[in-house]
Amino acid sequence: MNALARYGLSRTMVVLVMALAVFMPIGLVLWQSTLNAPFFMPNHAYGLDAFRFIFDDSDFWSALKNTVFIAVSMLVIAVPLGGALAFLLARTDLPCRRPIELMVMVPVFVSPFVLGFGYVVATGPVGFYTLWVQNLIGTVPWNVYSLPSIALIAGLTHVPHVYLYASSALKNLGSDVEEAARVTGASPFEVARRVSLPMVAPSLLYSGVLVFFLGFEIFGLPLILGDPEGHLVLASYLYKLTNKLGIPSYHLMAAVAVCIIGVTFPLVLLQRYLLRSANRYIAVKGKVTRQKRLPLGQWRLPALALVLFWLLVTVIVPLSGITFRAFVSFWGEGVSFAEAFSLHAFVEIWNQPNLLRAVLNSVLIGVIGGGVAVMAYTAIGLASHRKQDGLTRIVDYMVLIPRAVPGLLAGLAFLWVFLFVPGLKEIRSTLISVWLAYMVVWLAYGMRLISSALLQVAPELEESARTLGASAARVSKDVTLPLIRFGLLSSWVLMFMIFEREYSTGVYLLSPGTEVIGSMLVSLWAAGAVDIVAALSLINVALVAIGLAIALKFGVNLHE
Amino acid sequence: MNKQRRVMLAVLAALPFAQAFAAVPAGYPASYQAVIDAANKEGKLVVYSTTDTALMQPLLKDFQKMYPAIKLEYNDVNSTELYNRYISETAAGGASADVLWSSAMDLQAKLVNDGYAMKYATPEVKNLPDWAHWRDEVFGTTYEPISIVYNKRLVPAGEVPKTHAELVTLLTKNTAKYKGKVTTYDIEKSGTGFLFVTQDAKVNPAFWNLAKAFGAVDVKLQSSTGGMMERISSGENLIGYNILGSYAITRAKTDPNIGFVMPTDYSLVISRLMFVSKTAKAPNAAKVWVDYVLSRRGQSILAMSADLYSVRKDIAGQASGDYLGRVLGAALKPVAVGPGLLTYLDQAKRLDFIKQWKQALGR
Amino acid sequence: MNKSTQHDALHLTVNNLHLQYGDNPILKGVSFTLAPGEVVALLGASGSGKTTLLRAVAGLEHPSQGEITLGKTTLFDGAKDFELAVEKRNLGLVFQSYALWPHRTVFDNVAYGLKLRKVGTEETKDRVSQALKNLGLGHLAERYPHQLSGGQQQRVAIARALVYNPPVILLDEPLSNLDAKLREEARAWLRELIVTLGLSALVVTHDQTEAMAMSDRILLLKDGRIEQAGTPQSLYAHPESLYTADFMGSNNHLPANVVQAEGSMASIEVAGRVLKGVCKGIIQAGKACTALIRLEQVRTNAEGENVIQAELITSMFLGDRWEHLFHLHNGADTIRIRAFGAVPLATGEHQLSFPADALWLFPTA
Repeated sequence: MNALARYGLSRTMVVLVMALAVFMPIGLVLWQSTLNAPFFMPNHAYGLDAFRFIFDDSDFWSALKNTVFIAVSMLVIAVPLGGALAFLLARTDLPCRRPIELMVMVPVFVSPFVLGFGYVVATGPVGFYTLWVQNLIGTVPWNVYSLPSIALIAGLTHVPHVYLYASSALKNLGSDVEEAARVTGASPFEVARRVSLPMVAPSLLYSGVLVFFLGFEIFGLPLILGDPEGHLVLASYLYKLTNKLGIPSYHLMAAVAVCIIGVTFPLVLLQRYLLRSANRYIAVKGKVTRQKRLPLGQWRLPALALVLFWLLVTVIVPLSGITFRAFVSFWGEGVSFAEAFSLHAFVEIWNQPNLLRAVLNSVLIGVIGGGVAVMAYTAIGLASHRKQDGLTRIVDYMVLIPRAVPGLLAGLAFLWVFLFVPGLKEIRSTLISVWLAYMVVWLAYGMRLISSALLQVAPELEESARTLGASAARVSKDVTLPLIRFGLLSSWVLMFMIFEREYSTGVYLLSPGTEVIGSMLVSLWAAGAVDIVAALSLINVALVAIGLAIALKFGVNLHE
Repeated sequence: MNKQRRVMLAVLAALPFAQAFAAVPAGYPASYQAVIDAANKEGKLVVYSTTDTALMQPLLKDFQKMYPAIKLEYNDVNSTELYNRYISETAAGGASADVLWSSAMDLQAKLVNDGYAMKYATPEVKNLPDWAHWRDEVFGTTYEPISIVYNKRLVPAGEVPKTHAELVTLLTKNTAKYKGKVTTYDIEKSGTGFLFVTQDAKVNPAFWNLAKAFGAVDVKLQSSTGGMMERISSGENLIGYNILGSYAITRAKTDPNIGFVMPTDYSLVISRLMFVSKTAKAPNAAKVWVDYVLSRRGQSILAMSADLYSVRKDIAGQASGDYLGRVLGAALKPVAVGPGLLTYLDQAKRLDFIKQWKQALGR
Repeated sequence: MNKSTQHDALHLTVNNLHLQYGDNPILKGVSFTLAPGEVVALLGASGSGKTTLLRAVAGLEHPSQGEITLGKTTLFDGAKDFELAVEKRNLGLVFQSYALWPHRTVFDNVAYGLKLRKVGTEETKDRVSQALKNLGLGHLAERYPHQLSGGQQQRVAIARALVYNPPVILLDEPLSNLDAKLREEARAWLRELIVTLGLSALVVTHDQTEAMAMSDRILLLKDGRIEQAGTPQSLYAHPESLYTADFMGSNNHLPANVVQAEGSMASIEVAGRVLKGVCKGIIQAGKACTALIRLEQVRTNAEGENVIQAELITSMFLGDRWEHLFHLHNGADTIRIRAFGAVPLATGEHQLSFPADALWLFPTA
């Protein structure tokens, strides 16, 4: 009641609902980890057996080791490449910048599961490119299933994450500081190394922590690429526990989850701290008003070749693999495309109600779910907009919590919530359950979109309405919302793509009625329906491409 | 394959027994009419199954034709999910399945053993072999031999192993060729795979030699049948061990790369198990469904459209386990439905077995 | 608009107002009143708290103690922990950036305050048109803010704040967003508007000329306190502190030693010469002090008392007059003295006279 009086009814309600959605699932995970059996079993008791079990399991330690290896490799690969890419695209006269800038974002919006699958069919032991290279030079110089390969692919596909932060920081840098270096005799390479990149060091550091953090959550790539040689990471170890004991071992899974969160949550806090200090750090950044691109001179073409090679490896190879595989019913050594060509997979999708439903549901959850999610995020954004009080701080921290929970796990936690919270059972088998889980999992991302839109509104535009006599709610309706409507539309498009991309959150929520392409892919992959997986992946990529096209048409800033 | 199914349907629709809907089937006691009436009144039936909806479509359609008043909700989920969902829903006291139908025989047996099943003496039980039912609670519905699958292009006919012993010999003699080219289930990830291997170990005294041979060729472990099949088809792997025959048959129809054999020394046979939930909201509809699936009519459709052999003793033709028995004789070793399935659901025993298996593989 | 009937005659009173951001005190006890029809300028350097004070009156900042009242209405009472919401204060605020809503036309911008007060459509139309006409914007009603010039935008912002006849209008740096040339015109226009409409206005500015030109009274703020308050003339001519003196005009600073203090006058020694000046504060013989004289008070080529000889370095042409720069040699140091004159001077030594009543002596802190 006191809070009601102090913060107002609607704000308090918004924050309460948000707290429920955030804390209920994570609370269940924490509680479950302290039990020695699934919490719904009649004979469960408190104890640390679950932790004892996983700490005794050599698989856990090898998964942890692999995860650290992959996370560190991602850091080492993605940060320098992302920084270099950002420098080339944001500061220099590299040719074909516009199309490249667009292509760079593809790995962010394409599901890692789809990419991983693409690598298998393109570069696996009998992949299209593998066979081609083997015919050409007689041997295949790679093994896509090895741990270093997985780490390399993970690193390359996370280059855009670093690129995003580095390039937005570089764009805010005046070109005078670079010109000053050129005048004193530095080559473009030295300018990047000694001036531009060091000046955006805080952004690089931040994105480094982000990539390392994503490394700890990584699931789709190792799930697919790590299976043949048995390389586990923490998330796929968790997934494996689903079956290891033959009967549900939710307590073990929850214990692994707690271990993952134990690493990721401090990383999230570190990111937050870095982001704040980064803003303070950049005091001198030159005059932004006039920007001139740094001429690369003789390095223009080699730099372009490097960027194109990266694009080839991370975008074109896997996506072309998927496209190819979607149109053949079988493939292998000595099989010709004409002989194997078939539209069977697409016909099958058309004929199977659950597959067709998955496609429709994916569109629904992207378009409508994405839109409603933006509304919900906006409500939260407005509840803490321009108010520096306790409630806003609570919201700030609450946003971070789901960020630390991998999607696979969040989906599992939501399954429990839907099963055991009275009144929610009815929506369990509807798409709303998946949507709710997606919305909580992507809370931090969505809130960042909304708050950056809200930050575009000058405070005095709202204050002036207040002084004219408008209540806070009225100001939101008459001033703030109309002013950020383009920002909201962009957020909608971005949420659409993110929701299309999501695959792990729906895995445990998959049931008739809640199929979405993402979780269907994981399930079909497990069942081995590879041609359907390829066709669905292609449809998924096509949906994302539509999102990208719309984003392009309306000039949405993808670099959020 | 689709075309074939459609033809089958047409044939079935024209069959003489496709009449007298919702009447007591021939050979059933007259009192059965009361069950049908109650089932019609219940009006809705929820089935959780591990078999793909697409594969079951003809069966479902036919059932609806026979009992139009019962709205059938068929949910296909994987076996672990089926188990988890069912027990968690039951624990939460909410609506769950009326009938559970799963290929994970051990999990089904566990549910029955834990008292989740309703006792039901189906009139069809007399047509089932003894190994295929337990305590009048759970019933086998299919007859599915386990096979060895190979790549027809890359494995010469002379090398194709006909028995488990031949497989061991092949792998020990041609270690270099088959290194990294043999695949089987990762028993830690696949409950089905685990079940097969433990049954192997029970039936085959030389099983651990085979495991060692697998280890020597650096066997690739995978979590799914489909994954194995795909890799065999592409030539990434050449031989797949312990693959459900029904999948192999289906795939071989469209994929010229795929060949399969049922080993002649012994072939394990599993059966999809079905029981009625004790807490079923529609117990009568559930009974009607169980009887239908086990009936001649249900079994015929299942066998013809889904490449699942019939478990009934009295169905003739290539679709029946009986036929398979005539071809393979005593080599067929059905996995008996009963408490024997529960052994490895004990955590310690299971982990011990996994350890032994991994040691044999040299992992 | 008719001045006496439309604006309620209310006193705005601010008493002992304190405000802090976290541990950082911004206002440290500010008190003043604004009488009906009066224009008060809040003048100060950046960081002095002037804008914060204005925003606190508007209700956009949250003071920690003190009171703000408007007539009989309490806007803020620290003791009772009472704060009237911004939208209920019924004040008019014109923002430095004008804060026009880019998604609304000029008409809609101005009409918003009336819409919130549930004024009928017809009446709204009349009153908005009247307000726009009064401000010379009649023809721009259907435009969007980005289609207007800076001066026009400012007028729209003012129209928006005035249209519902608030008892007090608050202006935050009203001229700072205009070009230097436009600024003087706008200053005159604004003063005219305030006088003809009989507005009570609180104006924030950092420019002393603007403050003096527009207001009846100036509150000079320094570090969250009122340094000096009074009419523009008194602040300019009778500064009570070195800070006020410095802030209000352009000055020459002369480091000096007090030779002899006698009543309100004192003799000082500057670069070896003795000058007489007026004591501002406690001036004691034998101590150092700062002698300060406005540029316009320095006479060149003068005779008589309080004369000092300095070397002309250069003369700068300012259009309406010249500004001369002299060097006064004080041992190794050089004291720079600036003065205005009507004509350019020849380089070389010149006699500068500092009228004793215009040479202010402030104790050196």
